[in-house]
Amino acid sequence: MFNYSTLIQAVVDGNHIKSVELANEALKGGVSPQDIVGSGLQAGMRIVGDKFSTGNFFVPEMLLAARAVSRAMEVLQPHISAADMPILGRVVIGTVFGDIHDIGKNIVAAFLRGAGFEVFDLGINIPTASFVEAVKEHNPDILGMSALITTTMHTMTDVIKALEGAELRSKVKVIVGGAPVTQHFVEHIGADGYGADGGSAIRLCRNLVGK
Amino acid sequence: MAMTQKQRILAAARKQPVDRLPVGARIDVWYNYHSGHDTLPEKYRGWSIPDILRDQGAGIQLRHRAIWETEYRDTEVVIHEDPPYTTTEYRTPKGTVTMKTMFTPQEGPWIPYEVELPFKSPDDYPAIEHLLENTVLVPYWDDYLRKVEMVGEDGLVLVTASYSPMQEIMRTIMGYERFFFELYDHPSQVEHLYELMKGVVWQKLNILAESPVEIPEVCGNWSDDIHTPVFRKYFVPWFQKAVEFLHSKGKLTHAHIDGEMKRLIPMFLETGIDVAEAWSPAPMTFVTTAELRKSWGDKVAIWGGVPAVLFEPQYSDEEFDDYVMNLFREIAPGYSFILGMGDNVAFDGKIERVGRMAELADKYGRLPIEI
Repeated sequence: MFNYSTLIQAVVDGNHIKSVELANEALKGGVSPQDIVGSGLQAGMRIVGDKFSTGNFFVPEMLLAARAVSRAMEVLQPHISAADMPILGRVVIGTVFGDIHDIGKNIVAAFLRGAGFEVFDLGINIPTASFVEAVKEHNPDILGMSALITTTMHTMTDVIKALEGAELRSKVKVIVGGAPVTQHFVEHIGADGYGADGGSAIRLCRNLVGK
Repeated sequence: MAMTQKQRILAAARKQPVDRLPVGARIDVWYNYHSGHDTLPEKYRGWSIPDILRDQGAGIQLRHRAIWETEYRDTEVVIHEDPPYTTTEYRTPKGTVTMKTMFTPQEGPWIPYEVELPFKSPDDYPAIEHLLENTVLVPYWDDYLRKVEMVGEDGLVLVTASYSPMQEIMRTIMGYERFFFELYDHPSQVEHLYELMKGVVWQKLNILAESPVEIPEVCGNWSDDIHTPVFRKYFVPWFQKAVEFLHSKGKLTHAHIDGEMKRLIPMFLETGIDVAEAWSPAPMTFVTTAELRKSWGDKVAIWGGVPAVLFEPQYSDEEFDDYVMNLFREIAPGYSFILGMGDNVAFDGKIERVGRMAELADKYGRLPIEI
């Protein structure tokens, strides 16, 4: 019987070589991909997210854990059908126009994928119109925007206004994050949520899709 | 005779007696944006940053990048300009690496910014090592002196001189994400780069030591969620040596602390760095100025205190005044503190609030502050 604790530990340790090795071992042993994801990878991510939220883990540990999960998911993805693992929700995420910071966004995207969300990562320096186009194209439950400097966070307001103009605002929840973003700002621009850190972003997204 | 802003700033940095709270304001992001878009207020069109700050009644912080020119032995450097991008190719006998920067007042952070760093994969270690082994810095501070003359006694020109060696690798060679993957995957190679980078940074410190720069920057741009795991091992010992050396040459030192500092506050004290500039308190970070002052006492001079977001329209004029007044209460009696923004005024910031900050400092900033 497959020992999930070893896979969980590989994620917590950020050991991408071990996570891939164990994902392969589990598959060969007849464990279903969804069980490997749920009882192994997601369980590991919950521990990592909690440790980050309580200040015991930092961005480096999150990055390494996200990589361990991503590499294991690459092994599992060909074996997973949509019927086996229905997605929790669909998320479009990107760093706003004029901003090229992406560590936090990348961590959130990787963890959301591991948690069962379908994520469309637009990348960095995304113009307002591109966010709107992406919402039209992918019909997400959630639009996530990241900004790391005060000079760029104002474009989040532009995106929300553009969504309103395109009559899309009511169809998508908007969450924002990044160092200069505060609760005061979130309320000021009319966003639906604010992730103070990567760990809380997953809880926020689950709440917003009602799962 | 009243002290000048420059005298006040230097005295506060040296923890010496000051008559009034010094003000050193920074507005280059706001200025670059509006200059580039031709949207400077009518009155300020054609004006320089120092003149605008003088008109607002504020002391001046002007920044200058390096006081050296960089040459590379045995390397061909090829620059491609494709505005707003500049791509630099470093063609070494060990391979070619490229770096791309962007600058335009039309988009982006409105200061030069790296969009592509030289290290892309472990294949690049030989070329990067060659560059570090063959970097030669040639002192040049004529442009710096021109800025000093422009500012005069109304403020200070800070030189964005140097990062610590490991921060140079994290920030200018690999990027944070790639750095932490490499530190995990190839630790001995990263450590080797670190040793080579120390040689380059020592060149910078030697030039700074002989230069007219009063308070050189020794590092900055930290965020405790990124730097805490590596700060004790790679940053504290380095700073202790760098600070001791620069002190022996009659210099003070500063760090640009524009990020989340909460978990770095205790270790910062161990570094010996004299001035913590670009202090950006709550609500932009999780630490108030009162908490910082309590942690550091008067061992570190602080420069900043009014977060950049407070200059933006999302906060009312009343909220701005309340914030600044509360800041005065938090720093009272006000010694070893230089009032400024954490760390700039954004493009949509209200320039008149710079003047308001200076006005409040003038009204309530006679030391010791008693409010």
